[in-house]
Amino acid sequence: MKDIMRAKCLISAEIESLINQQIRKEAQSSAIYLAMASWCDRNGFDNSAAYFFKQSDEERHHQLKFFKYILDMGGTSVSPDITGLKIEYNSFREIFEDALDQEISVTQSIKSIAARCHKEQDYVTLEFLNWFFKEQREEEYKARRAIELFEIIGEQGTGHWEIDKHIGKIQYDSEA
Amino acid sequence: MQVIETIDSQVKLQEVFSTKSGSVSQCDRENCWYIDFAGKVSRFDYRCLLLLKKAVYNIDIEALLLKNAKSADIEIVFICASDHFYVLSTLEIIALKELLQGTFTMLELNHIIQDRLYRLAV
Ligand SMILES: [Fe+2]
Repeated sequence: MKDIMRAKCLISAEIESLINQQIRKEAQSSAIYLAMASWCDRNGFDNSAAYFFKQSDEERHHQLKFFKYILDMGGTSVSPDITGLKIEYNSFREIFEDALDQEISVTQSIKSIAARCHKEQDYVTLEFLNWFFKEQREEEYKARRAIELFEIIGEQGTGHWEIDKHIGKIQYDSEA
Repeated sequence: MQVIETIDSQVKLQEVFSTKSGSVSQCDRENCWYIDFAGKVSRFDYRCLLLLKKAVYNIDIEALLLKNAKSADIEIVFICASDHFYVLSTLEIIALKELLQGTFTMLELNHIIQDRLYRLAV
């Protein structure tokens, strides 16, 4: 009997559904960063607002990369609806702690897609995921560095102003 | 797998899975499946079969069973952009779900056999 399913679609139904969940996660990240940009802007942290606007764009880009991958492989990508976003934050620092949490959870969920790929011997999707692993290295590095600024500069006096000034300068330039 | 002859002897159907309430057969030549269920035989291509799976799997059977008995025990399974639809009772939905679950398991098994045996051998 012919394997019609395989001829129509490279990825399995399970991988397709995991990537669709990832699409939702990336869309959620993008929306969260936008909410963070809004809070920073309203509270006078212009550089941080710009930083989060840029992060939001990047997450949208990740979302589309996953979205197009499913379509290219012959599957069905689903445009997610995002609800229940946090709009207010208790402190400037809380934003960066939430941002790191978000990135850690994104790394974790990409890892579980990879685990499934190993199980199915889906080396094609695994190779596709490599780009995201490298990206997550950078995202987590930047989020961690931002929190470290709070330790190094301190939050007293003009601390927040100083931290905001340095947020835009965080860069990850590993050759590896 | 059992080979069934259809009215048109050119078209060979292979049974994928069957239960006492219905059966699903694959046609290699037309790249499609024939589902014999609820008194009719319908032809499904790849896209429609996946849509049917989604439609049936998404039905909350528990909710149907707990539903107020005063309303009619009837559910319409409709597939967008195709002429397929089923008007089914809760028991028939359970039977159709069972049929589809078996079918997709057999298709998955067929995929594994193709991958591990034939594609490696040739
Ligand atoms: Fe991302």
